[in-house]
Amino acid sequence: MTTQAATAPTKRDQKAKEAYFTASQTQLIWHRFKSNRSAMIAGWALIIMVLMGLFAPFLSPYNPTVAGRDVNYENGAPQIPKFWDHNGFSARPFIYAVERERSIKTNFRWVTTVNKEKRHYIHFFVKGWKYSLIDFEWDLPGRALDVNFTALTFDRHLFGADEGQVHVFGTDSSGKDIFSRTLHAIWTSLAVGTLGVLISFILALIIGGVSGYFGGWIDSILQMFTDAIRTVPPIPLFMAMAAFMPDEWSSETRFFVISLILGLVGWPTLARRIRTHLLTERSQEYVLAAQLAGAPAGHIIRKHLLPSFTSYIIVDLMISFPYMVRSETALSFIGLGLKDPVNSLGALMQNVSKADVLLNYQWYFIPVIFFIALVLAFVFVGDGLRDAADPYSGVKK
Amino acid sequence: MAQFVQFTLQRAAMAIVTLLMVSLIVFTLMELVPGTCAERYLAFKNTQGSQITLADIEAEKKRLGLDRPFLVRWGSWVESVFVEGEFGDSCILRLNINQLLADKFWISLAICLVALFASYLIAIPVGIISASSKSALTNNSLRFVSYLGLALPNFLLALIIMLFSTVMFGDSLTGLFSKEFRDAAWSWPKFLDFLKHAWLPIFILGWSATAFALQTVRALMLDEIGKLYVTAASARGITGRRLLWRYPARHALGPVINSLGFDLNRIFNELPVVALILTLTEAGALLIEALARSNDQQLAGAIIFLLTASIVFLNFVTDILLALMDPRVRRGLMG
Repeated sequence: MTTQAATAPTKRDQKAKEAYFTASQTQLIWHRFKSNRSAMIAGWALIIMVLMGLFAPFLSPYNPTVAGRDVNYENGAPQIPKFWDHNGFSARPFIYAVERERSIKTNFRWVTTVNKEKRHYIHFFVKGWKYSLIDFEWDLPGRALDVNFTALTFDRHLFGADEGQVHVFGTDSSGKDIFSRTLHAIWTSLAVGTLGVLISFILALIIGGVSGYFGGWIDSILQMFTDAIRTVPPIPLFMAMAAFMPDEWSSETRFFVISLILGLVGWPTLARRIRTHLLTERSQEYVLAAQLAGAPAGHIIRKHLLPSFTSYIIVDLMISFPYMVRSETALSFIGLGLKDPVNSLGALMQNVSKADVLLNYQWYFIPVIFFIALVLAFVFVGDGLRDAADPYSGVKK
Repeated sequence: MAQFVQFTLQRAAMAIVTLLMVSLIVFTLMELVPGTCAERYLAFKNTQGSQITLADIEAEKKRLGLDRPFLVRWGSWVESVFVEGEFGDSCILRLNINQLLADKFWISLAICLVALFASYLIAIPVGIISASSKSALTNNSLRFVSYLGLALPNFLLALIIMLFSTVMFGDSLTGLFSKEFRDAAWSWPKFLDFLKHAWLPIFILGWSATAFALQTVRALMLDEIGKLYVTAASARGITGRRLLWRYPARHALGPVINSLGFDLNRIFNELPVVALILTLTEAGALLIEALARSNDQQLAGAIIFLLTASIVFLNFVTDILLALMDPRVRRGLMG
């Protein structure tokens, strides 16, 4: 009896130990990441925001471009759906009707008034503007590169009003729905960031890989070059590069060029880390063994060295993500990045910078909240991943 | 001593090489812009009513030396910048860049340096205290503030402060000088007026810098505080502030000096956006003006080069300082 009771937990311990020792690197990282509560919360927030961006056309009741503007409700305040008011309770959420009037009473200016007696009900899964999940309509320079391809066109949306329009985040100066714009902007900003990170990652991999693997004078020269780029303040450099873009370029071209610029300026930090990793790894025995077996340099870098720190690279990418998003925002905010027809978080924030908005139209700030949440989520997840990927992080504390 | 001089010279040489490389990058950027100075000048003449031909453009190119190969032009640009400190003329504004920048660059640099200094003035004591404190509340709130420093866009902070002061005091706090001092020569009252306006950009630039510095100081302190010599010192009966400042802090702050250059880099990053919001009349605003509005590459190049040069210079100074202050570094470098 007693022996059984004593062995049962040890057996379980044994199992846990076995699981621990046989766990792959990814499993270990995931286990440590899971125990970090703030990183997990941030992770969920991030997933939700990514999904919101991905399903933006479905979630947003109106077209985020000028095509979807509401002429009757310009600079309109957010309309929060209600369930009851002085006229009683309703199972279906409703908003008040708005009326626009211009007469001698209003001094011949358009005045929007809220009619509290008239309700517009909110319906779910309504038909609305058409969108295509696959929509390639790139107007790249040169006719041969133009792509026109649409598929999976839908017109269902999560919600909408039976009469008039519903704007849960209000509208901007031309009557565009800020809720729809925000959702699309999240996606655009994420896409720019991803493309930028990808480009900088490829550059960093090549430059850092060559520099770290070969060492010696190649390393010295490449490092000098990397350091020179690192000392230039990136946002002024972004600005200088973005200033080349002619105004007449289409928004798609601008989008790609901005991502390219972000990538071209963002690689040095990553390249340095990859180099440092490689420098420490390349003197290990398994590299020597591969070299003696006659493997070429490219093969060793790809097959032996890079897998040895894939997890670190992923963490580094995650950490550099918020900087990319921030840079895009700063560029667009100054007016050198993406411009108004495109919905990026930076382009949306551009509208905020007027004192007029600050005093009268505070709902313009709603996209800013999403921006802060997005950056914070990335930072927390990045930090959580970094701690999780560091095998000594648990030992220190 | 001889070794120290050798080390200094070596570092100076490296700084100059970095600057040369930066100048090449900046110069290439300037050259990539469509249209040359010759075309710009003559386009201006055209608007003034005189007829121009292709031959005129060629002649103007020759006069400005634009027909020489790229590297030669870079060489002459570098020579005039490094030897004479002369950035040439801005083609768009048809003004000398040195005259155009003059005070403005120094004002920007001063604002950024003060912001940097102030951020460490706050971050070092707070970071040290937070690293030694066991309270979860302090730590979490500090972490939150640091993260917010990264996520909260500085323009938002600027806007909120502007709104607040407009509503409360009826003054939007923008600009760097009052009207009566804008074109006046530097004098004591002008300086006081400048201080009255400059605190806001300094505060906004320092805000995120402080958040970053806090994180750095805290992480470095946490690394040091667990080490054996600290335990040994506390075993000898040294406690409290004396223990913290005498032992771990001295070691932890070395790397901080090293990171000053990159902190300045980060502050410069924020400068254009803050300048735009607060309608400052300094180099950051001029940079936006040059890039976004008029595509004035000579001016933009000069500003970017100057900003980078001040970072390189600061890096150089901190390298020397670190070698002077930290015996470990000194021994490592000079054998």
